[in-house]
Amino acid sequence: MARRYLLVKILYGRALTDQQFHDALNASVRTHFGDIGFARIDPRMIKSDQTTSTSIVSCERSAVRELESALALITDCEGASMAVLVLAVSGTIKGLRKRRVR
Amino acid sequence: MAQTLKTAGYSTVGLTIPTGLLPERVKSIRQTFQEQGIATALRIDLGSTSRTELLRSLRRFRNIYDVVGVKCVNARVATVASRDRRVDVLFFDPVMHNVRFNHSLARLLHGALEVNLIASLLTLTDTGILFRLRKAIAVAREHNVKVVLSSGARNAEMVRAPLQLSAIASTLGLSETASVAGVSTIPLSIITENVKKRKPENVEEGVKIIVSSRR
Repeated sequence: MARRYLLVKILYGRALTDQQFHDALNASVRTHFGDIGFARIDPRMIKSDQTTSTSIVSCERSAVRELESALALITDCEGASMAVLVLAVSGTIKGLRKRRVR
Repeated sequence: MAQTLKTAGYSTVGLTIPTGLLPERVKSIRQTFQEQGIATALRIDLGSTSRTELLRSLRRFRNIYDVVGVKCVNARVATVASRDRRVDVLFFDPVMHNVRFNHSLARLLHGALEVNLIASLLTLTDTGILFRLRKAIAVAREHNVKVVLSSGARNAEMVRAPLQLSAIASTLGLSETASVAGVSTIPLSIITENVKKRKPENVEEGVKIIVSSRR
């Protein structure tokens, strides 16, 4: 199944662990789209960079818009406010890297 | 906040400025955004509670601001604002249940409907807000009303990328084309039209002074 990769920037006051972001992402998808939506979107965290506060997440190609909105609707993590910005969307991780360099 | 907007990919933003703010302060705020490479358009949100108050405010502020938005606090104001050509965008407070965007307003509307997605979804977490947004978008879609998508951000944490706003709107029922236009061409055309109208050579709609080049 074809997938799409999203480069996201996390705006959070404190240092955020990969697990915390993973949990926040899954919770947002489940809250707004339910379990069936979660299965359809199939969000996965690929990698993250603590120094630039960026992460790469992936989803099913047909569900990019749903994942983008789920990421936009993440508002807090463990009591502190948080925002996730989608910087780029690509079909390959290599494509995302190129855009990040640009 | 300007830096976050730049990261999110915005090129132009509408700044809601309080009416009493000193011009120097406005200039310095705009300068901050310009340093980040973001163009700004001055905007006013009128929250008038009566028809006369709204018309008076429109007379006073229309020529000063690039974008005039009206917050519909009651049905009477909503009707007058929909009819008036001086109003660019109309928006509704999600907390107020007494007035909503309905078919009769959609038929009258000259400007565009603004949906403050993030501000609405952050202030209210009940499912009712999603229902109301869906309903407003469905009405706008039925009547081919232009929809402007806005975050309504008051701080950096409320900023979202334009594509995310359009993604939320398409999830709520707006077509893909309309949702992308709602964060790009529609707001930009409102600003460019108004900037053109505010130029000194513009007399009224369709009439402008043409200065001869051989003078």
